[in-house]
Amino acid sequence: MTVARPPAGAPRPYRFPDFVRHRLPNGLGVWLVPLPERELVSVHLLTDAGAAAEDEPSAGVAALTAQLLVTGTRRLDAAAFAETTERLGIEVSSESSWDSARAGFTALGSKLGDGLDLLAEMLRTPRLDEGEFDRLKAERLNDILQARADPGRLADESFLREVYAPDSPYGRLSAGTPESVESLTVQAVRDYHASRYAPDVADVVVAGAIEPDAALDAVERHLGDWSGTGPGHRTLEPRQRGGRRVVLVDRPGSVQSELRVGHLGINRHHPRYFPAMVMAALLGGVFGSRLNRRLREELGYTYGARCSFDPRRAPGPFTASAAVQTEVTVDAIRELIGQLERIGQATPDDDELTDVRNFLVGVFPLRFETTSGIAAALEPLAIYDLPDDYWHTYRSHLEAVTPQDVLDAARELVRPDEALILLTGDAGRVRDELEAAELGPLEVIPAS
Amino acid sequence: MAEVPIQRHRLENGLRVILSRDPRAPVVAVNLWYDVGSKHEKAGKTGFAHLFEHMMFQGSANVEKGQHFSLIQAAGGTLNASTWLDRTNYYETLPGHELELALWLEADRMASLLPAMTQEKLDNQRDVVKNERRWSVDNQPYGDWDELIQALVYPKGHPYHHSTIGSMEDLSAASLDDVREFFATYYAPNNAVLTIAGDFEADAALDMVRRHFGPIPPNRELPAPPDMTVDPLIGSEVRETKADQVPLPRIYWAHRAPPFGTDEFDALDVAADVLGSGRASRLYASLVREQRLAQDVSVFAFPIVGGASLFTLWATARPGIAPETLEAATLAEVDRLAIDGPTDADLERVRNLHAAHSAGSLERIGERADRLSMYACLFDEPERINSEVARYAAVDAARVSEALRASVRSDNRVTLTYVPAEAAS
Repeated sequence: MTVARPPAGAPRPYRFPDFVRHRLPNGLGVWLVPLPERELVSVHLLTDAGAAAEDEPSAGVAALTAQLLVTGTRRLDAAAFAETTERLGIEVSSESSWDSARAGFTALGSKLGDGLDLLAEMLRTPRLDEGEFDRLKAERLNDILQARADPGRLADESFLREVYAPDSPYGRLSAGTPESVESLTVQAVRDYHASRYAPDVADVVVAGAIEPDAALDAVERHLGDWSGTGPGHRTLEPRQRGGRRVVLVDRPGSVQSELRVGHLGINRHHPRYFPAMVMAALLGGVFGSRLNRRLREELGYTYGARCSFDPRRAPGPFTASAAVQTEVTVDAIRELIGQLERIGQATPDDDELTDVRNFLVGVFPLRFETTSGIAAALEPLAIYDLPDDYWHTYRSHLEAVTPQDVLDAARELVRPDEALILLTGDAGRVRDELEAAELGPLEVIPAS
Repeated sequence: MAEVPIQRHRLENGLRVILSRDPRAPVVAVNLWYDVGSKHEKAGKTGFAHLFEHMMFQGSANVEKGQHFSLIQAAGGTLNASTWLDRTNYYETLPGHELELALWLEADRMASLLPAMTQEKLDNQRDVVKNERRWSVDNQPYGDWDELIQALVYPKGHPYHHSTIGSMEDLSAASLDDVREFFATYYAPNNAVLTIAGDFEADAALDMVRRHFGPIPPNRELPAPPDMTVDPLIGSEVRETKADQVPLPRIYWAHRAPPFGTDEFDALDVAADVLGSGRASRLYASLVREQRLAQDVSVFAFPIVGGASLFTLWATARPGIAPETLEAATLAEVDRLAIDGPTDADLERVRNLHAAHSAGSLERIGERADRLSMYACLFDEPERINSEVARYAAVDAARVSEALRASVRSDNRVTLTYVPAEAAS
């Protein structure tokens, strides 16, 4: 640079909003975050009824139950429930992940009481109608069809199936497989709701334009006499399949290969959680990360290359990914693997680490601009029992990560020698070169 | 926030500056709209405005390749840019005390992009953009729908006839001379709007803007805007069927519509929400929930300002449902709304949803800055940000009916049907 960047002014401190916690006599956790000068309020109701709470033969029942909740209550059928909520300007959502089911909405603050009323009615006395169940089940099966036509989603799904051992639930999407979804009945959903949705395994987060005492009153009024107990999640111990392998999912006519390279990652309580987050950002989480710089900005092989962990209660995957033009498929894999090897060979430069750490620390307030962003930030505290001061100490945890911490995390958590290399692409154009490259035993399977 | 505060300034070189202070969080958004998009591209140069946007991150006189990203991110900021039919925008959101960094970076490339340009950088970003096209269009089910729709709705030679991503051939042909000419023509302060929103002091911010942008010379010979004139109606029904690697048929319908910014466009915006926004919307209720013909439906009016905008719908058929059946049922709902108009309940529903969405969007300082730039760039009226909700709420049933009857009719419709390749052969 011939002219230096202008100096920064004096930083204004930012503090994650204070919140108060209550536990109602029925076991429901209540998290209240008053945010002055806000128009909106967000309500997120979490229940330990995600895919980790379902029995494996009924894989997908958690997702279908969550989706079916918004199709009405005993009092209001699907059309009436949609009409009633939307006329208040409220779009109720309900979905599930591995570790929880979440129902909620964001609305103008004046609508909090009405919204809570309808949300509680939906959770406690859902209609769980057979006709609507049949419809959502069919839509889920159609979505799987659609996903398999999309090379990126096909690669994601195939990667999970191939990277985990066959008896590991994480080897599938949390919403289930075509076979498991096909076998589900409305009775299974009703049973799941009756046995899993209960206040002692639930938390409600209310963030935004609220007065805490009034909000607590409203929660107590609508959910205080909710009763029952739920078993919560089972303990998963996912295992990885064997060592380095190459799996090519043949998708004839593809002009790009979708690459997914990785292996088992970490759980949410891993002792190296913060070094792992910094290391993943440096390797493939920011624009100037090693993967994106090399594969995009130097070689032009892709529109973007990245990597990330997916920490859950049990170890989710670590995945590096890029969509590369078919002609450079093998070289792109070599380059990508090369970066996974290099991160474990030496400590990063101080400058490189400082920039990434500063990004993660500095971007902190931007993540909490919206009421729904703040409500979502409290979810991991509720789900994973993180300490109440988690966000207040978050930045100091990041700032404490040293170059040696990054190297140690990389050596333990990035293992190219045992990585699965999965790609969707045109086998007719890439198979021979892949075989000759000897990146590992090659298996070619059709896109189903 | 009830009202977005707005201060307007104009530098001597013509740069329009919008300041909107909101100190609630210690963050600031910097947003630049250049009044240049793919509609300004010449024949044989499709995709160039977007490729040029990529070149804006390849360094300038005092900034190295990639450094715009790395400096902003190391300051704890986020950033990006995008190109569309009418415009190109560049934006950063970062801690308030780093405001000057973002202004300096934006000014440096506006002032001095060309000394940093090389053939190697152009070749690299050409490859990146081609991979962007492969990823988002060529290798994606239904990925070329908007490209096909634009080509069918707008006549050959019209600036909206081609897509923003452009063709592979034209991308291959782009040269450093094109970069120089495009920069000299369009990347001038008098062809841009700069918005700063969030945590800053107005006087200090304006000083910084003057210091960094003030010396940049204007382009005294800005070209006249392209001729966007087009008949308000297509004049006949246009149908096209495409066999593709898709598991389910999907139909896209597109119509020429009055431009963004008109009262008629607002009425179509309301119509789109009555038809397609939410689970109580007409099309979701009828096609997805009741008749079970469609896997999904969507309705969208393109906010574009030249000649005619686009009113589009799409619906994906469930397995076993013939596209003809889906089409008849969809158009029956659209016609019913055009004839009978929305009910009071329809209007109450979409107005309340719109008010909540609008409040949700404006919570984000970057979105607020982008809308201010948009209204300033397209209409020279940033104050429109404060009348969005009122304009929407002012649309009554009669206006919805009239707007639908005027534009959403068979002699103004392109119907593009994707069918699974196996089924077609």
